[in-house]
Amino acid sequence: MALPSPSTSQGAKPRRLRREPSEGWLAVLLLAPAALLLCGVLLFPMLTTLRDSLFVNKLTEPGLGTPFVGFKQYVQMFGDARFGQALRNTLFFGVLTVAGSFLVGIPMALAAHTPSRVRGLARVALLLPWAMPPVITGLIFAWLFNGQYGVFNDLLVRAHIIQEPLRWLSTPGLAVAAMVVTIVWKTSSFVALIVLGGLQGIPRELTEAADVDGATRVQSFFRIILPMLAPSLAVAFIFRSISAVQVFDIPYTFIQQAPAQGLLETLGVYIYRTSIEFLDFGYAATLSVALFAVSLAVTAVYVRFVRGGD
Amino acid sequence: MEDTPPRLSPLERVGRWLGLTALILGGFFPFLWMVLTSIKTEGELQKFPVQYLPGTLNFANYAQVFTEQPFARFFFNSLTVSLLSTVLAIVVAAPAAYALSRLNIRGRGVLLTVVVAFSMFPVVSLLVPLFRLMRGASLLNSYPALILPYAALSLPVAILTLVAFFSSIPRDLEAAAMVDGSSRLGALTRVVLPLSAPGVVTAALLVFVNSWNEFLLALSFNTRLSMRTVSVGVTLYQGEFAFPWPLIAAAVVIATVPIVILIAVFQKRFVAGLTAGGVKA
Repeated sequence: MALPSPSTSQGAKPRRLRREPSEGWLAVLLLAPAALLLCGVLLFPMLTTLRDSLFVNKLTEPGLGTPFVGFKQYVQMFGDARFGQALRNTLFFGVLTVAGSFLVGIPMALAAHTPSRVRGLARVALLLPWAMPPVITGLIFAWLFNGQYGVFNDLLVRAHIIQEPLRWLSTPGLAVAAMVVTIVWKTSSFVALIVLGGLQGIPRELTEAADVDGATRVQSFFRIILPMLAPSLAVAFIFRSISAVQVFDIPYTFIQQAPAQGLLETLGVYIYRTSIEFLDFGYAATLSVALFAVSLAVTAVYVRFVRGGD
Repeated sequence: MEDTPPRLSPLERVGRWLGLTALILGGFFPFLWMVLTSIKTEGELQKFPVQYLPGTLNFANYAQVFTEQPFARFFFNSLTVSLLSTVLAIVVAAPAAYALSRLNIRGRGVLLTVVVAFSMFPVVSLLVPLFRLMRGASLLNSYPALILPYAALSLPVAILTLVAFFSSIPRDLEAAAMVDGSSRLGALTRVVLPLSAPGVVTAALLVFVNSWNEFLLALSFNTRLSMRTVSVGVTLYQGEFAFPWPLIAAAVVIATVPIVILIAVFQKRFVAGLTAGGVKA
């Protein structure tokens, strides 16, 4: 405290003032609990997965022991048709649902951004799908898509689009469509919220100036608003891609109701089954590493392009 | 200014009205449909064309939710786990966020990137190692089995939200308190913490919702009926081939009510947290 401070700066530059000798220790002390929790519960288990993927460990066959097999289980994985199918499903659902969540989410954000008397209600409508437990979303939509008494069938019949109720969940192609709709409903909110944040950061003078210059609203959307939203869209895209790769809850609930399991099984579901249902911990660890690698690749893209400025 | 929209053409008015209607209807309909389903009888449900409104208000399904499964217990478990993981996450995140936004730390940018990277960890990939860890520590079928991973998984988002809020508090205020003779700790408790209360509330809400909604770890770690949480509990009413929808709907409504209340009350905090945290992260 007694030290004279050379510059009582308030700028954004790192402050050099009051460099008490204890500050480094203070930082370590304040960061330690977070580091401990993150490393103990996330990082350390992930490292043990790497190790586990090199050992056989089947609880159903305790006689095998837990021998070291090197990369044998990785070789097994690349020859595993079910893994291939799960990976393809994951990427297929990922592409469709990420694209869908942007197509729905951006108009949602625009609607919620316009001032109106029902703004509060619109905001809750925007938050509800995001905050809804995913497993409950899966259950709700399984009921909405019910093959006999589902409300979607009812609406389509009333609108004369179909004659007879469709068996959504027991027809493979339709089950895939139903799951895409469900995931898009659940995830569009997130995109909309991030985009809304971006919209709130665009100064109104900018669009007003365009108005004065005679630009139509469509022109000013594509020429001014959309380019200014680019950072928000990039962030939303990365986070949506990550969660799409890891999707579990909604496919899991749908599989309980739909016989078309092969088409709905994502990588996440396959890992769950391999570990908790088939009790093959070694192979599950190998599959987990594969999923982790895919997530890591997307994270690397994020670090490179979004945080590149740091 | 906010509430005087620019003059709109009739076409734009209609478009805006349609957009808002679609947003509100689309957001609420699935949940409202569950509410309607939950007060219908099995007979009323098994009709096509669908009977939209129930003939009478029938709350028997709600009673049955609690008699068929120990749902009150599930609810209590979820509440305990979610509240405790929220407290743990905030208590751990707040000092870290303060350090990251206020102290001279070399490699601050790298540390923030590491925090973001942790938020992208695939939970499914942690299933086996965490399961073994919990089994090794005899923690399966216990509250800590969920509290520890929930707090850790939500820690990044809590830290990033708090960093954004701490950074928005003018440094001068804190500096002034320190010039007046407060220690850094004094300035923290008397100036920074009161001002960052909205940030703490926002971070806490995000952690609570994440924990309340979590399904995979709850499904795998706490398999004893008395230790189940509501997200798993709602899936226990269906049989292999039987789906008693009015009953499932009632359970779904009860499980979702806390979330609906939270977002209705704290809508501004949620929107602020998600819009700010996401982009600044």
